[in-house]
Amino acid sequence: MVDFSDKRVFEIGCGEGRLTWRYADKTARVTAIDPNAEQIELAREQIPEHLQDRIEFHNSAFENFAAASAPSSFDIVILSWAL
Amino acid sequence: MERGGMVHALEEIHRILKPTGILIDIHPVNEAMSVEVHHEGNIDLVSPWSVSQWRTDYQHADNALAKVVQRGLFIVERKIEFDSLTYYSSIEEMRTDLKEAVDKFAREDQPAGEVEPDFETLAARAEELMEKAAHGAELVARERAQISRLIPT
Repeated sequence: MVDFSDKRVFEIGCGEGRLTWRYADKTARVTAIDPNAEQIELAREQIPEHLQDRIEFHNSAFENFAAASAPSSFDIVILSWAL
Repeated sequence: MERGGMVHALEEIHRILKPTGILIDIHPVNEAMSVEVHHEGNIDLVSPWSVSQWRTDYQHADNALAKVVQRGLFIVERKIEFDSLTYYSSIEEMRTDLKEAVDKFAREDQPAGEVEPDFETLAARAEELMEKAAHGAELVARERAQISRLIPT
């Protein structure tokens, strides 16, 4: 359904990264957010070594993060059980 | 996500997405999930399981997507349904996971009875079926979900 190759991806509702690990290695960069601090902490602890330079996790609500984001920043946005 | 904020969130996604970008939305469909015991190729139903609040939220998510499509912000290129399976290593893990999910999505204005399913009956039934099943049986929650691919216009 999606070609992640060299794409800048924004994942909303990433939780502990269960979905993120499955596609991140193909991307240029992943920005992943979740409003649950414990889940983000788990995601940071579990991030595979080869993906550490490619993924940034933020403990943030979408509204706050989006407000600080520039227009046309991402190639792919994923709403992961987040709507 | 708060119901009133869904359309605004989709507008913001449209703004931060490149014109050539893709929005992928994954959320459950408006159906009850089921808790099952899987063993030796068989599936035993423990119980359907549903929280009315969740199903209302899913309907609101569908409505929000339909609204931004109707307004011409996005086009739906593809939509498919699939089964999302969560495997539990124990009945206690299932109980904790489902309770956390209920708490996470509970709303202050929601009557308590609608967000407090009977965990004890569910757990007792699951325990009964797990004991009857062969060694290696797995406890599974099955949720029907949809994945949509949308492009901005």
